[in-house]
Amino acid sequence: MVPLVYFQLLSAALFVIGLYGVLARRSAVLVVMSIELMLNAVNINLIAAAAHLGYRSVGEVFVHFDGQIIAIFIITVAAAEVGLALAIILRMYRNRGTVNVDEIDLMRW
Amino acid sequence: MTWAWLIPVLSFAAAPLIVVAGRFLPGKGSFLAILAIAAGFGLFWLTLSGFLEANTSTEGCARIVSAETGKESGPLTCQYEKTWFYAGLPGLEDSVELTWGILIDPVTVVMLGLVTFVALMVQVYSLGYMRGDPKFGWYYAVHALFAASMLTLVLADNFLLLYVSWELVGACSYLLIGFWHERPAAREAAKKAFVVTRIGDVGMLVGILLLWREVGSFEMSAAFEAVRNGAIGEGTATAAALLLFLGAMGKSAQFPFHVWLPDAMEGPTPVSALIHAATMVVAGVYLVARAYPIFEASGSALLVVAIIGLLTALMSSTIALVSTDLKRILAYSTISHLGLMMLSLGAFGYTAAVFHLLAHGFAKALLFLGAGSVLHSTEEQDVRNMGGLRRVMPLTTIVFSIGALSLGGIPILSGFWSKDEILLAVSQHRNVVFLILTLVTAFLSALYMARAMFVPFFGQLPAKLEHVHDAPPSMAVPMALLAVLAVGFGFLAFNWPGEYVGFGGFVFDAKPHGFEFLVWLGAISIVLAVVAFAIGYVLYIRGAYRSERERAGKSGLVKMVESKYYIDEVYQWTIDRLVLIFANFIGLFDRAVVNDLAVNGPANTVRHVGIALRVHITGHVYSYALGMVAGTLVVAVIWWIVAG
Repeated sequence: MVPLVYFQLLSAALFVIGLYGVLARRSAVLVVMSIELMLNAVNINLIAAAAHLGYRSVGEVFVHFDGQIIAIFIITVAAAEVGLALAIILRMYRNRGTVNVDEIDLMRW
Repeated sequence: MTWAWLIPVLSFAAAPLIVVAGRFLPGKGSFLAILAIAAGFGLFWLTLSGFLEANTSTEGCARIVSAETGKESGPLTCQYEKTWFYAGLPGLEDSVELTWGILIDPVTVVMLGLVTFVALMVQVYSLGYMRGDPKFGWYYAVHALFAASMLTLVLADNFLLLYVSWELVGACSYLLIGFWHERPAAREAAKKAFVVTRIGDVGMLVGILLLWREVGSFEMSAAFEAVRNGAIGEGTATAAALLLFLGAMGKSAQFPFHVWLPDAMEGPTPVSALIHAATMVVAGVYLVARAYPIFEASGSALLVVAIIGLLTALMSSTIALVSTDLKRILAYSTISHLGLMMLSLGAFGYTAAVFHLLAHGFAKALLFLGAGSVLHSTEEQDVRNMGGLRRVMPLTTIVFSIGALSLGGIPILSGFWSKDEILLAVSQHRNVVFLILTLVTAFLSALYMARAMFVPFFGQLPAKLEHVHDAPPSMAVPMALLAVLAVGFGFLAFNWPGEYVGFGGFVFDAKPHGFEFLVWLGAISIVLAVVAFAIGYVLYIRGAYRSERERAGKSGLVKMVESKYYIDEVYQWTIDRLVLIFANFIGLFDRAVVNDLAVNGPANTVRHVGIALRVHITGHVYSYALGMVAGTLVVAVIWWIVAG
């Protein structure tokens, strides 16, 4: 049994990489991809914790499925969100000829 | 007499009707105004007969009952009122009930007669005079409104209603002076009249409020009762009387507020006849007469009234002597006679003042209508360009001469009797200086009347005026009727055999005042008047007048009088040098402190703070995301420290 902390370290590493991508990347597509990465980092964290806690509480049998259920929800929402985000990016590109987030500052003062 | 309120209400109804529907009616609705005022004149006779039959047992009528002796004194006074509104909730202790009310006493009755009769005459006259004017309907609408307001003023039984109608007549006067507002002079004159009288009205309002504070009611009878039983001290009575007199000075064009009346001649001449000679300008005299118990309670207030009146009369009669505009001569003569009325009131000559008010009202309205007839056909206002009009305008000449002789104080005509009453009052109650100056005024008044009569109507007829025609019937009939009164009205003064006790017995304030005639005084006044007309004849018909134009400008005294004692210039200087500079300072204060600092200041502060704070709105999604991350980290760190 791999200790929980390795999963958490992996999850944290993925999350920070995703965060870096969101903050630092110029391309909107890459920003969306980084968001996906952060979501998946959360998924890993949830499933690892769920497996770990469910195993620990009732011997060999999994009895707690909450983590997995939330992870499936997140995957679903993420899929929908990617569809929406790509559509927005496509419109953005059509209208402004660029997907560089530096140039998208319509809401500036 | 409970229905006497109908008299003004009829005219009040006519005014908006003419404005709204006048253009669809024959004569642009002018007949509505004339019908309303004619009905008012008819109702005046009913009121008069009702009043003569009334006694203390009639509903609403009473005499003053003396507290000490229990005896009745003073004139019969009938009062009818209805609730107008409550200031505060009705029934509560501190709520004030305000009333509409009419008060009928002898002064009211005679004023009703004067106003309705002169207004009727002038409105009929205007049919001819104003014919073809593009604003004919509007003219009659304002005339009706004026008549209604003036009648309300005369009938009002409380100071509040009086003040309301007082301002309404002022507004109508403004509208009618500026009737031909295409002319800049008319506009300026209208504004001047409105502003100058307003200065006095402020004083009057303060006086009314002072009385209200002392008495707790706007009703005149309550105020007079308070003065009589000593609830109002002499100091307060003096203050209230002087403040009321300030309003009267503005309206009646007393020095130093007289400057508006000569300029008011820019209005149509019938308006000058009705408003600026016979009715509205005597409202000030009427106010003093109406509030006489308050003035009587304070000897010093009456002295002030007398001095102001005498000063005004003397000053304006000299100006009338050198003025060259026919209407302005009459205007200064009006001011002079208003001064005489004030003087008479100030000399306890209550009945004399009211009598002169009526005699002057008829005669001066007649003179103005005559002058209007001249201006209408010659289109000339300068007397220097007139002369010999008697050959082409015989009727106008006759009626104008009657008016001039009457006001000049030639015996048997009404002006002689009323002027004599004033002289009598002055000789009995004021010292000899007053009497001499009054006699000088009377002499001057006869002299300028001789001038106004001789110069345009006698002597040589200029060639360009030979085509001139006399007044049409609609103008001639009112003049003739007024001329009859200018001749015969004076006979009402005597104690005729029988029940009639003379005008003084009808209109009296505290005690009946019969007709008296001092032979020596009457003789002096007759001699002065006759001499003045004789001098006028020599000066203005025997050619001495022709040199007047050259003489002007040589003598410093004549120059000063011709410039109206530089009073207008002094006012202009005051306005330019003091009022406007002060106003500019106030304007600067308003702009710099009130506007920029107090109003725009907070707004600007908020705007600048907003500009300083808005830099974080970059519009870049990643900077917001960074904010979220940083915020989360801060929360996490705090949580870590606090929760250990």
